[in-house]
Formats: sequence, structure tokens, C-alpha cells
Amino acid sequence: MKHELLCQPASTAIRFSLEQGDELTCEVGAMIAMTKGITVETTSKSRGGSGGIMKGLKRMFSGENFFLNHFTAQQPNQSLIIGPTMLGDCTHHALSGGAMIVQGSSWVASDSGIQIDTTWQGFSSAFFSGESMFWVKCSGAGNLFLSSYGAIYSVEVDGEYTVDSGHIVAFEDTLQFRIGKAGKSLIGSFFGGEGLVCKFSGRGTLYCQTHNPPSLGKLLGPKLKPR
Amino acid sequence: MTNALDYKIDFRPDFSLLTINLQPGQKVHAEPSAMASMSPTLTMKAALKGGAMKSLGRMFGGESMVVNTFTASKGPGEVVFAPGHLGDTQHYRLTGGSLILQRGAFMVHGEGVEITGKWQGAKGFFSGEGLVLLKATGTGDVFFNSYGAVIEIDVTDNYVVDTGYIVAFEDTLQYQISTLPGLRGGGIKRLFFSGEGLVCQFSGQGRLWIQTRYVNPFLSWINRFRPTTKNN
Amino acid sequence: MEVTIRNAPSFANLLVNLDPGDRIVAEADAMASMSSGIEMTTRWNGGVFRAIARRIFGGESIFVNEFKSTQSGHIVITQPFPGDMACLELKGNTMFLQPGAYIASEPQVTLGLGWAGIRSFISGEGLFRMKVSGYGRVWFGAYGAIFTRQVEGEYIVDTGHLVAYEPTIGIRVGMAGGIFASFFGGEGLITRVNGQGKIYMQSRSFEGLAAWTNAHL
Repeated sequence: MKHELLCQPASTAIRFSLEQGDELTCEVGAMIAMTKGITVETTSKSRGGSGGIMKGLKRMFSGENFFLNHFTAQQPNQSLIIGPTMLGDCTHHALSGGAMIVQGSSWVASDSGIQIDTTWQGFSSAFFSGESMFWVKCSGAGNLFLSSYGAIYSVEVDGEYTVDSGHIVAFEDTLQFRIGKAGKSLIGSFFGGEGLVCKFSGRGTLYCQTHNPPSLGKLLGPKLKPR
Repeated sequence: MTNALDYKIDFRPDFSLLTINLQPGQKVHAEPSAMASMSPTLTMKAALKGGAMKSLGRMFGGESMVVNTFTASKGPGEVVFAPGHLGDTQHYRLTGGSLILQRGAFMVHGEGVEITGKWQGAKGFFSGEGLVLLKATGTGDVFFNSYGAVIEIDVTDNYVVDTGYIVAFEDTLQYQISTLPGLRGGGIKRLFFSGEGLVCQFSGQGRLWIQTRYVNPFLSWINRFRPTTKNN
Repeated sequence: MEVTIRNAPSFANLLVNLDPGDRIVAEADAMASMSSGIEMTTRWNGGVFRAIARRIFGGESIFVNEFKSTQSGHIVITQPFPGDMACLELKGNTMFLQPGAYIASEPQVTLGLGWAGIRSFISGEGLFRMKVSGYGRVWFGAYGAIFTRQVEGEYIVDTGHLVAYEPTIGIRVGMAGGIFASFFGGEGLITRVNGQGKIYMQSRSFEGLAAWTNAHL
């Protein structure tokens, strides 16, 4: 199964070329278009793994329940185009035995070699101050597709690296992290954000996003019709 | 003698900007609020109806398109257009055939083009999703926008598209709407979602433009940032 | 100090490579990520930046931080909305920016808030504009892609699309006039720029985004 990233970095879509029997699991709502020889099945559980039931978990961005579509090509030479719900980027990460902790709204698709576990509780909800975020642990061997709000950039951490709370997309679980204040001064924590950052240490791959959805919401919101 | 417009589309696919250079006497018609800037040699005649941006509206029953008209009346000049949202702009040259467009996608058309909201076969298309279609006919230039990037598909046989991602298509294509159960976490009633996965199956030969994002998730997300009435 | 604008014009951000001793001034919540060893101190820019400074889109006060490092490292600096960024190299000259457009600058650049005059009143935006002057680089951003026009005489801009302009340019905001009023940018306001000089515009406007969003709600 081949993939191609189109229209980066703000309107990114992924086009897959599937042969007969190829399978892909995506978040519900991701499908944009496809050729006729593909079947779709919906479930709330990840296939081929011990992943938890995702009942009751809501995706931060769209508010929808976290359901999955399983696509299977029934014929050769099929094509499937998917896209995430937020404007932003996508990237591909090949997992080969390790695990990635992925922000729930940033998981877009993976093939059947990847298990999705939604019970990971490494970050307390206080860290993200009221945004209903959840995190999924992806493990196994296969292809993982992530999305972001903003452009995605990867950092090979070797030592220490600091990321503002709203900018984490995914990280290898070989990394340790702690939550702290960004700078010496307290002023930053009174105004314009909590001033909370996540300091990663150790060695591993970290994916960050350049932008942060609530910042746009707070600026645009006051200009909209009241509800 | 052609009425083809001298135009340029920059900053595709995310923040597209359409610049049209008008020769003396030439005119273009645009969705109200699309103008970003213009030379002082142009004059603008506003749409006859008020409140154009109050509702994205529903152009049923043969209403005429609400447009502003820009004319290079005092000399040549440029006019620059952009939509309000992030996305792409696409040009299409009509040469006697028709182009079907999603209502919110239309931005600008040149002379020789007619746009209608009602034609045989248009009725009953996409009722639950709030997607309304327009038809552009004639000989001239049309410019339409997408939310997200636009991808052009050359349909030669069959193709299935989630209805939320359809931008425009040539009317040489046949289309049929059906539900694909489970495609959108169906059965859950929500502010902006219909809940069922509606797809459009295209067949025949022709070009189709799809967009890489769907508007509704953005609307349902931005809802929480709106002021509440008691805070006014 | 090497600064690269990445991912323009869609989700532009600055990759700032700092060597020991380098300093950069940026808005309080503009940091997306940074390597270890970078210090951030919040600097209240005294009397020049007043608490009534408003971002072009909302009521936040603008605080600036100074980032510096005792080792080599980098910071990724972003803005609160998707869009473009551009760099201005000041050589003793001045530029006017819409207040929400400022992102970062070298410490020698003077940041000021100016009274833009009653004739430049943009509804809801306040009567201020930001003035950057001195020597050094300034980075500013936009909602949309940044494009320029060289004005020679007069030009008409839908209010909300204007980002920055040279001091040789005069600004006059007004109603488009008569029945045109409600059809420009949803608010009936256009900006007539006149003079000889360069103006910077953005290919989207927050007013346009708000109007489009409201039309769906």
C-alpha cells in the first residue's frame, strides 16, 4: 500500500493506492473520496490488537465520538483520499516495535499492524486546562499517520527539549517528560496562556505543531454571533 | 474576439488570491465581500439586494445571484478578490457547457456567464446537509473557492465522494446520492452534522473538483468560543 | 543570529538559531518549542506599550519576552492564527504595522505605539498602530499570505486586508459610500491609501473570516 501527502502544510490530504486485500483504519469522517472497489466498516475498537474501547471519548476538535472506519480494498488498483478534520498538516511515521504517544485529535490512520490503546494516562487533565484532550498509545509494526494544527516538524531529542503545552503532536515513549513553567517571570502565566510547558528528556522522536487551535478560537470568537 | 479575463491566482492552495486586470470597459461580477483591493479607476456597483452576507443562503426558486459588479470605467485597472476562509481558488472556462458548483464556492464570474439556483434535476439534491448547488452556463470565466485545497479529479468511470467535500463538477457527469452507513458516526444528533455519511457516486466522463477539508467540524469547534448572550 | 521563516504562507513560523549572546524579542505567548538552555524573561516595554494596546483582532495586551541563551540552541516562534510572515530590515527608517501583526524583533529595534489619527479609525480596532523604527530586523505576520503594492497616487483596500505601510502613505478609512456600505467586508468600510510608497496586505482578513463563519451559524 503506497501513500502520498498532498497539499501540505495547511490542507494536507493523504492519497493511498491499495491492492486487493489492503486494509487501512481511519478516524470516522476522514474519508474524502475513493474508488468504488473499497468497503467500509465502522467500529469503536481497533482491529488486531488489545486496544481499549473508545466509548465516551470525544475528539477535541470536532466533538465527535472516537469511532473508526476500516477500509478494505476488494479489487486491485484502488485509490482512497483521506483528510483530517482540522486545517493543518499530516505526516507518516513507521513504527517497528516501539510505541508512540499521540494526541487524540492527531491520530488519522494506521494499518493493521498498529494497535491503538486509548487508556494511556500519562498527562493529567490539568495540564491542558479544560481542553478535553485524550492521548492514544500506538504500538506494533506498521504505518502510522498523524495530523496537526499548523505545520508538523520533528525533533530528534537527545538531552532536553521544551514544548509549549498546545504544540505537542506525538512522541516516542522512550522520552521522559515533566511539566513546568516556561520562564523565570510569572507574568507570562497570568496573561495569554498558562505559561505551562512540557520539558522532554532522554532520546527519541518528538513531533510538534507550529500552531495552537485555541489561540485562533479566542481571537475569532468575540467577532462571532452570540449563542 | 474573446471575453477571456486577464487573471492571476497566487498563494495556492491555502491563501489564494485572485488578481484580475481589467481593460477599459471590461467588467466582472463578484460575491459581495470578496473584494480585497482595487485600483481607483474602477467603479463598483453594489448588489441590488441588501444583507448579502446575512445568510449563506438559499437561492431557491429562480432568484438571481446577488453580486457586485466592478467596471473599469475610468481606465484600465486591477481588482483583487479573496474569500474569507483559508483555501484555494480555481478558474474554469465555460464554452457552452455547464459547471455545477456548491453555493458557497462561487466567488467571481466574467461577462457571458449566467448563474442560476434552479434547473431541472437540481431539486432534492442534498437537503439534510445544507449543501445547495448552483449552475453556471454560457461562454466566459468562472472562479470558485474551496475550503482547504482543491484537487481536480478526471472521472472516467466511477468515483465516490463524501458530499461535504464536493466543490464543483462538469455537468457531463451523472451523480447519485446514497448513504454509506457508518462513515460519519451516524445516529448522533448534533448542531451541524446530519449524522449519516452521505456520499455522491459520480459516473460518466468529466472533471470534478473536491476539497480537502469539510466546513462543519470547524463550525462545531468554533461554537464554544462564541460570546454567550448574557455576556454582551 | 540566523532566522528562517518556515512553512510560509500557510502556517508561517520562525526558526531562530541562537548563538551564545544572541537575543530576540518576541510576544509573550509566541513560543512553540525551544531547545534547552534558552532563557525567557518577560519585559514590559515601559511607557511606550500601553495597556490599552489592542491586537487587531481582540483585546489582549501585548507583552514581550526576551529570549537569550548561554549555549547554542533554537526557538520556534509562531503566531495565533494561520498565515504568512515577513521580515523587514530597518536601517534608521520607520514602518507602521497593525498592532496584531508584530511577532518579533532584534533588541535594537524600537517598538512604539502611535496614535493613528481619527481618520484612520477602523471600527472596533482602536485608534492605534504600531511603529517600528531603528536598526535591525522586525518580523511581522498576517492572516493570509502577505503581498505588496507600490502605491503611486491612490489605491483602495478593503479594511482588514492592510497589514503594514511606509510613513509616506496616508490612510483614510471611510464608508464606501451610499448603498455600497454593507457590501464591503461585511462592515461597509474601505481604506483609501494615498501617497507614494509601499503597502503590505494580507490575502485574508479576520473580518472576512468572521463574516463567513457567521453566515453559517
